Amino acid sequence: MSADACKGKPLIRLEGISKHFGKVRANHDITLDIRAGRIKALLGENGAGKSTLMSVLAGRLQPDAGRILLGGNPVFFRSPRDAHQAGIGMVYQHFMLIDSMSVADNVLLGQEKSLTLNPRDMQRRVAELARRYGLDVDPAAKIGTLSMGERQRVEILKLLCRESRLLIFDEPTAVLTPGEARRLFVSMRSMAEQGKAIVFISHKLPEVLEISDEISILRRGEVVDGFERANVPGEAELARRMLGRDLSLNSGPEAAHVAAPANAPASISRADPAEAVLPGLEEEIPPPVPEPRPMGWLGTDRQLSLEAAIYNRSQRAGENGQPEAEPAVPGDGNLNIEGVKRRGRGKLVAETEPVLALAGVNCRVPDSAGLTDIALSVAKGQILAILGVAGNGQKELVEIICGLRRADSGRVSILGRDVREFHANQPSRGGLGYIPEDRRGSAACPDLNLVDNFLLTTRKLFSRWGIMDYKRARQVTRRVISEHNVQPDDSKVLARALSGGNLQKLIVGRELVRNPRCIVAENPTQGLDVAATEEVWQRLRVARETSGVLLVTGDLNEGLTLADYLAVMYRGRIVDIFSIHNQAKVEQIGLMMAGAIAARQDAYGGQGCAPDPAGD
Amino acid sequence: MEVEKTFIELLLPYILALAPALAAAVSTGTPILFATLGELVTERGGVLNLGVEGMMMVGSLAAFVICYHTGSPWFGLLCGGAAAMAMSALHGLVCMVFQGSQVVSGLALTIFGVGVANYLGTPYIQQKAEGFTTFSIPLLSSIPLLGRVFFQQDAMVYLSYLLPFLLWFLLRRTRFGLALRASGENPEAVRAAGISPFKMRWASILLGGFLVGLGGAYLALAFMRMWADNLVAGRGWIAVALVIFAFWRPGRAVLGVYLFAGVTAYLFRVQALGVPIPSSIMAMLPYVMTLLVLFVSSLRGKGSGAPADLGNNFKVGD
Repeated sequence: MSADACKGKPLIRLEGISKHFGKVRANHDITLDIRAGRIKALLGENGAGKSTLMSVLAGRLQPDAGRILLGGNPVFFRSPRDAHQAGIGMVYQHFMLIDSMSVADNVLLGQEKSLTLNPRDMQRRVAELARRYGLDVDPAAKIGTLSMGERQRVEILKLLCRESRLLIFDEPTAVLTPGEARRLFVSMRSMAEQGKAIVFISHKLPEVLEISDEISILRRGEVVDGFERANVPGEAELARRMLGRDLSLNSGPEAAHVAAPANAPASISRADPAEAVLPGLEEEIPPPVPEPRPMGWLGTDRQLSLEAAIYNRSQRAGENGQPEAEPAVPGDGNLNIEGVKRRGRGKLVAETEPVLALAGVNCRVPDSAGLTDIALSVAKGQILAILGVAGNGQKELVEIICGLRRADSGRVSILGRDVREFHANQPSRGGLGYIPEDRRGSAACPDLNLVDNFLLTTRKLFSRWGIMDYKRARQVTRRVISEHNVQPDDSKVLARALSGGNLQKLIVGRELVRNPRCIVAENPTQGLDVAATEEVWQRLRVARETSGVLLVTGDLNEGLTLADYLAVMYRGRIVDIFSIHNQAKVEQIGLMMAGAIAARQDAYGGQGCAPDPAGD
Repeated sequence: MEVEKTFIELLLPYILALAPALAAAVSTGTPILFATLGELVTERGGVLNLGVEGMMMVGSLAAFVICYHTGSPWFGLLCGGAAAMAMSALHGLVCMVFQGSQVVSGLALTIFGVGVANYLGTPYIQQKAEGFTTFSIPLLSSIPLLGRVFFQQDAMVYLSYLLPFLLWFLLRRTRFGLALRASGENPEAVRAAGISPFKMRWASILLGGFLVGLGGAYLALAFMRMWADNLVAGRGWIAVALVIFAFWRPGRAVLGVYLFAGVTAYLFRVQALGVPIPSSIMAMLPYVMTLLVLFVSSLRGKGSGAPADLGNNFKVGD
């Protein structure tokens, strides 16, 4: 049964919506029908354009092209207010509530019709509305005392109170506990049954499958697929379609383009021997021998096949002289790896002492999952990539390592020294290099010139008796600027004048100039164009020769391209840590990121990829 | 026995000084109460206006001059409020339209207001104005002790008794008050609710400015009934501190104002009894008290009830 045949005219139709931000194409020619009484899921990776699309619909952004049809009539939303008046409301991830006021005050702000207020009457009305949709919350309670789930219910009540016909949920479960998420789904179902149209933005496969009536998949700003509930393929297939096959942004300059391989490569038994081994011994272990594998490792007849994984995997296999065995899966086209050049990759250098080691780290953070029992270690010559959807504890992890946050418990050591002691007395050379995600906020001062920005973390190298040697600082800055090809190549301009990519090149250069033995890079190529991304990657590859790198990234491709080990984080836990050669695990990354695979402490004994010598 | 008696005899004048001090507290407290409530309304809307001192000066001068020439204290009062409101509009212009710093704008307002009022008021120094006269409220004024203190006052004082209740009702029980408080807490949420936080903040600035002006007018028309240089003498700053002491609640503002004014008045009485307190210490007293008030109220830390978005500017429009 097709979507169109199901329920006459759509409530809202988005027609040919396009939205660009500068050169970035956030939405391209998107057409989407939204129907009353149905829950539509928009599935896609970070940056696939889901939120942009919904912001257009909610009036926060105006499309460059295309139109919105409400009940068949074109409408134009200049502001969220216009959209509200048309009955379109959005539950944002960041709640817009007033903490010091009651639930009833928040719900009825701007909705109250009488001039004077009667708190008891207001609370009664809100309680009634809450009961009708199963959104249990005490209307007299102050927002500040409520859980995230309850606050979300208040946000929903605000929309219901103004009789919105379409409710858009932007990743509503990101802030919820599993129990609260379940209750939300019950309420969403109840709202749909009472005739509301619901759009549900998510990248978590299990919940999308659980709740939605229709699924549309967005990738790189385009709708690439749409399914009715009955026709929805399995999780693995959805993950595959969500992550896509287009990987032009691949590894090194030598990388050749792979023509869209779509099937699972020959794979390995799940117990990958390489994983159980100390990194130092890595070279002695032959890479797993590919052998034809029967389909169905997920218990379904669909296979999760991440092209990125295949691509890197096949290269590695090639690198190690292993033959590729490619079963031809009917209907999916044959994998074509002819013409793939072998990629040179620095040999893994064994080092007994890890440059960075965490054991049993816990950290409670208000309004987030915090960190639970984090254990990992990075040795010189390694890049460990932390993969995961943003907001699953990566930020907290980085902050703890970089001395910006204190863990509640557990051990963190950098270059063999305790993290607090290390940061109190950092070596001016050979210490920790930190490439923060927020390059304009934490990494640079926009209103200082490039020399001053350069000196932010390197000043110890240029001062003697507390007096700065500006002449030498300028020389070194100029050298870094020309070496890293920063434009404009003028050390006197303000950092504000630099584009994101150029600023990032300067920051990477700045961090590397101290020859750090441990590097933390947080989404280092986010928002950069292809060329800048490639440059940053190249720098990190070179840096690996002399240091250990912790790469936190939301970009799966980046992790697969650079890393030697991968760790997947979900809700403040490390789901698993495994070698990039562990094909079976690599294939499951999508599921791990989506929370479909629970953290398996037993798999690595809570020790991380390289067991801490003093861990027990 | 003998010693004890002497001791009580020694203390007696100080105890007896309490009653007139209480009466004085009402009249010294009233201008501060108006100013405190005015600043409270403004801050509840999310705008920090440190120009209270200057606004009071301008308000009191306007009230004095108008009353001096027309002979009508009520007209003077109205003009005092309006003049301070115009000053606050200046603050609104700087902060709301031009996105200037609220702290800097408020300080500038104080410096400007004090200076301009002293300058323009020079010809009126030592001049007297009609001002408000006291009248007793029947029945209530015959309550022993308290009756004379609270109900043998002028009209402004009686108005100041009602004002906290009126403001409480406005802030807590009206749609307008809800939106105004919400603008001080989270303007984004107000905007999302379809109300303009920009307008609500303007309303809080102007209403607050008017009330501050009434405080200034009271000083000139009832408390002093004459014009003098630097008439306000730090009372505006005390009002700013008392808003914090009151945790931004009208009811507690009343308590704070009378406590503050009572202690000050009592110490003046005690000084008159011959206790050797240097007058320079007495002159410092209001400021020392202000520091003390800020210290005590800051002990409560984060749960002090300050509007969450107090002092922050936001961009106009959607």
